[in-house]
Amino acid sequence: MRGANGVIAITTKRAARGKTTVTLQSTAGVQHVDKLIDVVDAEGFKKLYSAALANAGSAPFDFTNYNGNTNWQKEILRDAAITTNSLTISNSNDKSTTLVNIGYNDQDGVVKYNNYKKYIARLSEEIRINDNIKVGGNLTGYHWRNEPTAANLNTAIYAAPIVPVKNENGLYYTMPSFQRAQVGNVVYAIDRNRNTAIDRGYRFNGSLFAEIKFLKDFTWRSTVYTDLGFNNNRNYTPLPYTVVNIGEGATPTETYFDNSARTSVSQTAFESRKYQQDHTLTYDKVINDDHRLTAMVGFTTLYTSSTNLTGSRTDSVLKVPRDPDLWYLDIISKDNITSNGGTGAEESNVGMFGRVSYAYKNKYLLNATIRHDGSSRFAPENRWGTFGSVGLGWVASEESFFKDNIKFIDFLKLRTAWGRLGNANGVDANLYQQTISQSSAAVFGENVFPSVTYTYIPDSALHWEVVQGFDIGMDVRALNSRLSVEVNYYNKTTDGILTSFTLPNTQVTYFTNLGKLTNKGIEASLGWSDKIGKDFSYSLSGSFSYNKNIVNSVGNNSAFQITNNGSINITETGKSVGYFYGYVQTGIYQSTADLDKTPHMTTSLPGDISYADIDGNGEITPADRTYLGTPFPPYSYGLNLSVAYKSFDLNVYGQGVAGNKIYLQRRTASFAPLSYESNRLNAWTGPGSTNIEPIINARGNNLLFSTYYLESGSYFRLRNVQLGYTFNRAMISKIGIQALRIYVSGQNIKTWSRVSGYTPEAQISNILASGADNGIYPIPAVYSVGLNVTF
Amino acid sequence: MKKIFKTEKVILVALSMMLMFSFTACKKFLDTERQGVYTVDNYPYPGGSGPYDVYLYSAYDDLRSYDVHCTAFFLATSVRGDDADKGSVSTDNPANGDPFDFFPVQASNSFLNGMWTGYYNLITKCNRVIDQVRNNTTIVATDLQKTQSMAEARFLRGYAYFNLVRLWGRVPLIDTLLSVDQINVPQSSPAQIYAFIENDLRFAATNLPPSWDKKFIGRLTSGAANGLLAKVYLTQQKWAAAMNAANLVMTSGQYDLSTSYDKIFGESGENSKESVFEVQATASAQEPTKNGAEITQWQGVRASGDWNLGYGWNVPNTYLENAYEANDPRKARTLLYRSTATTTYKTVYGEITPTTWTNPIYNHKAYTNPAYRAAYNNKAGRWMNIRLLRYADVVLMYAEAANEVGGTDNITAARNALNSVRARARIGAVAGTLPDITTTDQGALRDAIRRERHVELAMEYDRFFDLVRWGIATEVLHAAGRPNFTAPRDNLLPIPQTQIDLSKGVLTQNFGY
Repeated sequence: MRGANGVIAITTKRAARGKTTVTLQSTAGVQHVDKLIDVVDAEGFKKLYSAALANAGSAPFDFTNYNGNTNWQKEILRDAAITTNSLTISNSNDKSTTLVNIGYNDQDGVVKYNNYKKYIARLSEEIRINDNIKVGGNLTGYHWRNEPTAANLNTAIYAAPIVPVKNENGLYYTMPSFQRAQVGNVVYAIDRNRNTAIDRGYRFNGSLFAEIKFLKDFTWRSTVYTDLGFNNNRNYTPLPYTVVNIGEGATPTETYFDNSARTSVSQTAFESRKYQQDHTLTYDKVINDDHRLTAMVGFTTLYTSSTNLTGSRTDSVLKVPRDPDLWYLDIISKDNITSNGGTGAEESNVGMFGRVSYAYKNKYLLNATIRHDGSSRFAPENRWGTFGSVGLGWVASEESFFKDNIKFIDFLKLRTAWGRLGNANGVDANLYQQTISQSSAAVFGENVFPSVTYTYIPDSALHWEVVQGFDIGMDVRALNSRLSVEVNYYNKTTDGILTSFTLPNTQVTYFTNLGKLTNKGIEASLGWSDKIGKDFSYSLSGSFSYNKNIVNSVGNNSAFQITNNGSINITETGKSVGYFYGYVQTGIYQSTADLDKTPHMTTSLPGDISYADIDGNGEITPADRTYLGTPFPPYSYGLNLSVAYKSFDLNVYGQGVAGNKIYLQRRTASFAPLSYESNRLNAWTGPGSTNIEPIINARGNNLLFSTYYLESGSYFRLRNVQLGYTFNRAMISKIGIQALRIYVSGQNIKTWSRVSGYTPEAQISNILASGADNGIYPIPAVYSVGLNVTF
Repeated sequence: MKKIFKTEKVILVALSMMLMFSFTACKKFLDTERQGVYTVDNYPYPGGSGPYDVYLYSAYDDLRSYDVHCTAFFLATSVRGDDADKGSVSTDNPANGDPFDFFPVQASNSFLNGMWTGYYNLITKCNRVIDQVRNNTTIVATDLQKTQSMAEARFLRGYAYFNLVRLWGRVPLIDTLLSVDQINVPQSSPAQIYAFIENDLRFAATNLPPSWDKKFIGRLTSGAANGLLAKVYLTQQKWAAAMNAANLVMTSGQYDLSTSYDKIFGESGENSKESVFEVQATASAQEPTKNGAEITQWQGVRASGDWNLGYGWNVPNTYLENAYEANDPRKARTLLYRSTATTTYKTVYGEITPTTWTNPIYNHKAYTNPAYRAAYNNKAGRWMNIRLLRYADVVLMYAEAANEVGGTDNITAARNALNSVRARARIGAVAGTLPDITTTDQGALRDAIRRERHVELAMEYDRFFDLVRWGIATEVLHAAGRPNFTAPRDNLLPIPQTQIDLSKGVLTQNFGY
């Protein structure tokens, strides 16, 4: 197979005997970022930066030589190709089933010049020795090649637009002196580092199973899995380019080459291993046609480990050329600047479980599970947890009184379940132990003496996080199954949430089981599907869910306040987890007279944000901070529409959330004078000019966390729109094709949202510190065409 | 039917036996340890001459940390004074930087929380050493080794609290390793904290050696402890105790004023006879930054190209320029001027300064030797030691304390000490420069000593504390273009809001904020 940007030539022969199918699935598309962050252009920047200097009482900046008007985002983003291709050949007969699959994916990143290629091969085999015994296996290998990018999206927002990318001789410009040290020319960065990484990985996973049926009702099944990964990475740091520092005031425009820079080469080898075994014994029996009993016991283990080895050398004499054939550590003699490192990880899990399900006349349903799990992440005495669930169902529509009386309902099921689940994955493994870090050192004279530090306070009592709760619901199908309704209510309590937060004074991160959290909510969906005539069918469905979370307790951590992201997210009993906590903007202080009659801070000046006097004491103090919303959307919903007419089919799926807030953290960066987003063009310039945007002057008052830095996270997005055409089977079978479908699709092609960032999906990693937009990567729209063909 | 149940029974028994067997095997299977990382249980505690050194060194490491001795530190100690401005360009982090110049600093200022955290991390490491000495039975050590390690830890802890109490007044006094449920400690009064500092430093002064062999040059000594103790007493106006502590340093035989003022601040002046307490930093071509301190880079010349030595913060201003007596050679070693169209200026190493630097004046004491920059192939200057306590400072503290104790003999001793500093300063200057002070009047001598401290120790991270302890901060700062300075509020910084929030209100804000 040879693929060039998604075009694959294939030739297949029909298998001589039947039951052989060959399927090709192929898509090719383009990814496009349709929304950029709205930043100022050169003119806007000059206006705002001049205002900042004037408001600070500083001399104006000399823009004379800055003639650029660059939107740095446009310089680093691109329309990027994506293709996925998969060819499957399967063969099945009485004794065996064989499946061979090869695949090739190639995806350019929307950020230049990111690229990821993946080559996949898979073989799957099942052999039926007799009616009672079958064995089989699965072997998958893939290889990926990654071209990373050196671009930083935030840099593209922070860089001044007044600088052109390059001069007429192809030399890159640096940023103006006020941000030169902190903000780089992002095009320079991606060009300099393009094609400097040989980043490859290999992954092999396989499994073998055997299944034996015996004594009529029993089935024993054993499976073993292995998953091995090898990543190999070589990196080259080239010399910098000569740059042009644009002249400012007395300083003339000059070219500069950093003579102190050196070339270097690094290598990384990473290996991961995963071994798993599952054994189950199942008993399945139908007694007198009315009783169906299924019972299962099982045992599973999982072991994962990894090692990583890194090294780098920097040549202080020679300049290593830009030639990948040379990028190995030994190209630089070992007497040069060298560093190396190695790490590893290991973890294991064990589980034993049993499950029983019983149905009487498919009317009364019962199922119960119990499991006992062990995780090496916790101390020996806290390693094991017992979990389980019980579910009851009643299919009312099977009752004779129902069948006799309620004709229009085809199916009605009432169900309820109670369960208790364990989770061990919230924090890193083995944190119950105090580890020793050896990264610091004392210096005396020119001598360096290594030292040890304890980088965290261990919680020796770390244990399983337990989610316990119940749900109750109903499934209905009615009107000849054209109408379907599902309603579900749940109430779950998470006890001992595995998470982390900082402690007072030292702000050391503490990993622990934090208190109790309740999630309650309802989920409902409604669907309708029907046919009109012979050729037209359609279905329409919608879903809606509401969730509310409340912290019931913070466990043993009530002696201090649990805050994250610098007091912006607060977690406390009785409130929503990790809620936003800050000031409420009421407007802008327009004048000294306005200040005098409005509650303000001792440091407030006209043009500053005015805040609500929540405690009503006549002045603005930290006590005026309050609940500002939650990073977690309470409402989410989805809509799906499918239409089919003759050979055409159309599917439209959209999804949205409502009610959450996003913190615009990217706008609070103050490490250097940065460019502005366009909202700042409306900054306060004098009484009456605006009641929203504060004065252009980074006074601390206006950087306090308030509703000014929050925006609504609500959105609705068209996730997928697909139009397909399925060829008439009779027609294509003449040319040896069994099935053929072609389609065009668009993913994420439209989003309705008021967020100013690339995408409304703000990060939710640590539930105590969520909802900040610190430069969220864009989610591109993907337009593609696809082909599914079966021979 | 019956038969089937019998078989099932057998299977069930077999199964439970298998389960029991696998259960014991599982216990072992789950014993996976951390890979490639020591835990406290398997760490091979080093013995030898310094059994607690690996812990102590981590506290020494913190002295070079950004949060302890860099931006927040010079902003609080120097930029808050009359002599220095924030520097850089006016649009460079004005929200957090400018308030240190113009007051008041807000509780939400990000530098505050970083510095608070930095000092409490240093204190934790000191408490760790003390805990190891007291409680770690795995480590075999002599009583002398124990006492000496304890003395080093208590010195550093005392130093940390001395800065904390001067920066914030009331702070939590944490003298032991705390478990998580005890970690929220209320503030102690400044008097309690000063008593604690004195205890720590007196223990250090008694138990530290007067000097170390060459391998450990710059390590803490009894002289450093007495010198710091003198400053602690002086700050509390315990004049006799201050005079006595300073005198112990002066009579120790370890220090003198023989190093020329030109040489003290450069790389070649590190750990000279002038050095009493000096944070050690170093670099090599291999590791140009890792073992260094950032404070030099932050004050380095801000310019483009080869002159891009740093960020240009904490720059001397005209108020300092005007503080010098005529022809005082120390002025040129403290203020590094950008050349102008009409005047050419040079660095202490003879380079002509360009006219294109961003700021008109930089801190010359933080200027690195170009030979070192070339040798390390690096411009950041992180190899420069931080001079926290120089011998001249001790001599001037002696002078100040002796003068305040009063009496003819003491005033004479004070004047002599003062003149010894002036005598060194005038070396190489035209005749008549910096003449000896001759006054016998206590008030006049007090003013002379204060003027001398001002110029001798200019840009050495002590000016604001001097102004506050002399009670002249309002007067001086108002005259130096900082009309917003309001005592007593601005004598102290506000407790970081993040810490008040974390403490759930156990910490209370300072007066006036």
